[in-house]
Amino acid sequence: MSTVERPRAAEQGDNAPGRATGVLRRLARDPIVVSGVAALVLWGVAALVSPAFASWSQIVTLLVLASFLGVIAIGQTLVVIAGGEGIDLSVGATATLAAIVASRHMDGSNEGFVGAVALALGAAAVVGALNATGILVFRVPPLVMTLGMISVVYGFIRLYTGGRPAGSAAPALRSLVGGDTVAGIPGVLWLWLGLSVLVIWLLRRTSYGWRLYAVGGNPTTAYLSGVNPRLVKASAYVLSSLFAGVGGLLLLGYTQTVFLRLADPYMLPSVAATVVGGTALIGGIGGYLGTIIGAILLTVLDSFLRVLQVGGGGDAPRQIIYGLVLLVVLSAYGRQKRLRQ
Amino acid sequence: MPTPYLQMTGVRKRYGGVTALAGADFAAEAGTVHAVLGPNGSGKSTLLKVLTGVVEPDAGEVRLEGRPLRPRGPRDTLEAGISAVYQELSLVEDFTVVDNLVLGVEPRRWGLRDRAQARRIALPWLERFADAFGGRVPADERVLGLDPGERQVVEICKALVRDPRVLVLDEATASLRRRQVEVLFDVVEELREAGVLVLFITHRLAEIRAVCDRATIMRGGTDVTTVTVGELPEQELVELMVGEMAAVGAAPSTAREQVRLEVRDLSGPRVREASFQVRAGEIVGVGGLQGQGQGSLLATLFGAERRHSGTVLVDGREVRPRSPKQAVRSGLAYVPGNRGTQGLALGRPILENMALPSLARRALLGVGLSRRREVEAARSAAGRMATKYGSLDDPVATLSGGNQQKVVVGKWFATEPRVVLMDDPAKGIDVRAKAELFGVVRDLAASGVAVLVSSSDDRELVEVCDRVLVMFEGRVVDDVHGERLTEETLVAAAMRVTGTEVGS
Repeated sequence: MSTVERPRAAEQGDNAPGRATGVLRRLARDPIVVSGVAALVLWGVAALVSPAFASWSQIVTLLVLASFLGVIAIGQTLVVIAGGEGIDLSVGATATLAAIVASRHMDGSNEGFVGAVALALGAAAVVGALNATGILVFRVPPLVMTLGMISVVYGFIRLYTGGRPAGSAAPALRSLVGGDTVAGIPGVLWLWLGLSVLVIWLLRRTSYGWRLYAVGGNPTTAYLSGVNPRLVKASAYVLSSLFAGVGGLLLLGYTQTVFLRLADPYMLPSVAATVVGGTALIGGIGGYLGTIIGAILLTVLDSFLRVLQVGGGGDAPRQIIYGLVLLVVLSAYGRQKRLRQ
Repeated sequence: MPTPYLQMTGVRKRYGGVTALAGADFAAEAGTVHAVLGPNGSGKSTLLKVLTGVVEPDAGEVRLEGRPLRPRGPRDTLEAGISAVYQELSLVEDFTVVDNLVLGVEPRRWGLRDRAQARRIALPWLERFADAFGGRVPADERVLGLDPGERQVVEICKALVRDPRVLVLDEATASLRRRQVEVLFDVVEELREAGVLVLFITHRLAEIRAVCDRATIMRGGTDVTTVTVGELPEQELVELMVGEMAAVGAAPSTAREQVRLEVRDLSGPRVREASFQVRAGEIVGVGGLQGQGQGSLLATLFGAERRHSGTVLVDGREVRPRSPKQAVRSGLAYVPGNRGTQGLALGRPILENMALPSLARRALLGVGLSRRREVEAARSAAGRMATKYGSLDDPVATLSGGNQQKVVVGKWFATEPRVVLMDDPAKGIDVRAKAELFGVVRDLAASGVAVLVSSSDDRELVEVCDRVLVMFEGRVVDDVHGERLTEETLVAAAMRVTGTEVGS
């Protein structure tokens, strides 16, 4: 995004020190670098306050926690890049739905594992398709549509579970998320790494990714260049729900049993992680690498607030502070968007 | 020597790494109409934006009547008596014309808006421009209902209501009809008599000769020279602007026998029963007064506007595109009329903009892209268009207007189109870029492509096209070719002076 304001080519002629400061200045404006540095500093401070933060096992735990947010925010990133005020607030509800459907069909055994996963992701995809239909066919603003979808999904969950979610995670899922697999790193992190590589490849090296950026950058141009912008946007919403579903499954593997508002706390953070990582709410700008950093930053912040135990322990003060930080972050980046226009 | 009325010295401005102004000097006298000429990217717009306070210079000084002017924004310059009209419109669509005219300078009475006073200020100018509104005074109409030309006239009135001592017209005539330009020029003459300095940017040479006293020619961010317009032959003026290169110039037709595009009774939202043929290798123009359905004809052919009825054949096979996507598959390519809002994703890299229409062709299994292959394809298209760029990864917005337009055209090469539709492709680009652009259009035609190109500039059509279809109220009313193909015939046909109906 910084390259928009600073064309690169003409700087090549500058002398060496000038170029060095130029590089530094560009780094200082790169949201990925800024968020990465912020995460490191926050982690460093946390480690000073509570040395346990610096331990290897604590780092792994932090990354595992970040992976849930990171996977749920994959779809959020796609939707925001697709533009047209794109946002998916229903990711939390969709993740919960997938976890609840899966846990009921797994019921603590490995037998129905594949079927349960397929059913859970299918349910998530239906939510995405409904979002896409509402937004693209009935032209409901994405914010309103996905917000409304939250209550539809929770209503459905209550109907489906009778208010009491049943079952638990299959052992296979449990060991995938929690158990050590390779090099002392839990499977869920390997999975996150794999998905990250896949998504970054999707965005940077596939015709779909380039079309997504084009649609977000200027839907009219994309349309007049032979792209179907509605199809591209619709697929972004379906993918968003699918990845939210995957996130829900991973959460299920972590918590082992489900409850009604399992993935609720990921709704706003998924938007914040995306935006902090440099994906602009105007669409057409950004990428998933930034979202990864954003997810890690927010997770470090959340854990740090827990360790600090502001207000003498209890969860309420932490929630208030975390919520305020999210609001500040989102409004700050929202303002940046207006400046650019 | 007395100090000039307006004097700008040593003005410098860099945008990131791009130097827009490299120490330009400029001087102009009150009571003159002074043109600022130069190719796109020569810094003329930036120079005038420094004057109006839109752009803050890195260095340099502006003096008005000998007093230094250090505006911190357009508001300050407005108080100093400088008003500007740009090609981009700044009107509030939901407001009435009068409300728009007094926006920001609303007369007040006891702290409340004084509507009667507002009308007293605004009405004389609207009445003065009544001819430009087709004889009416649209004071209480909402801007929403006005056509682009009329909106531009409102924009001009808005500048005049502010009673300027310096009036800047930056490409303000680009979307005006002939009659509207005439009224504007009458008013400009009056302003000159009244001692107002009018600064004028345009790409149309005829307008410069018609109304300007002096002209400053800019190139590469500095002023080359300032001349008295009347003393200089047109050819020399063009040469000063472009440096070594001349205007487009005529060339032999490359049309073949084979009919490539055939249109029968095509009707759409703003097209009525258009019938014509374009042969392989032929360049056919679409002319007429502004807004007679030229753009709509091209958009309808491309599937971007809904076709009501009619048949379109490409190489004898019927094509019925219901979307641009299908049109591209049938071998059509389209250069839309507005490159910023339609032609380019400005924030995205040049590479992606170039690749967009032909992505699937180079992708492995229609999905996987290779950066090397994309770069090669983009480089070759950019090379064919002689596009100047720093890096393919730079956002396309960093290019000058002419080079942006080359990307809009160049991105279609890789789709190997059989029919190319161009909606006023040379609008707002400089003479040199225009010549290069039409050179490429000729190459395309020579390779057997059928080209259909609309233009708001009759001279362009005469120079570039083998044949020109003249449109009036959505119909093709004349087919001008051979000996008849002159600017005079086109103007007459457009106004329906000699209009003979042609069926095909």
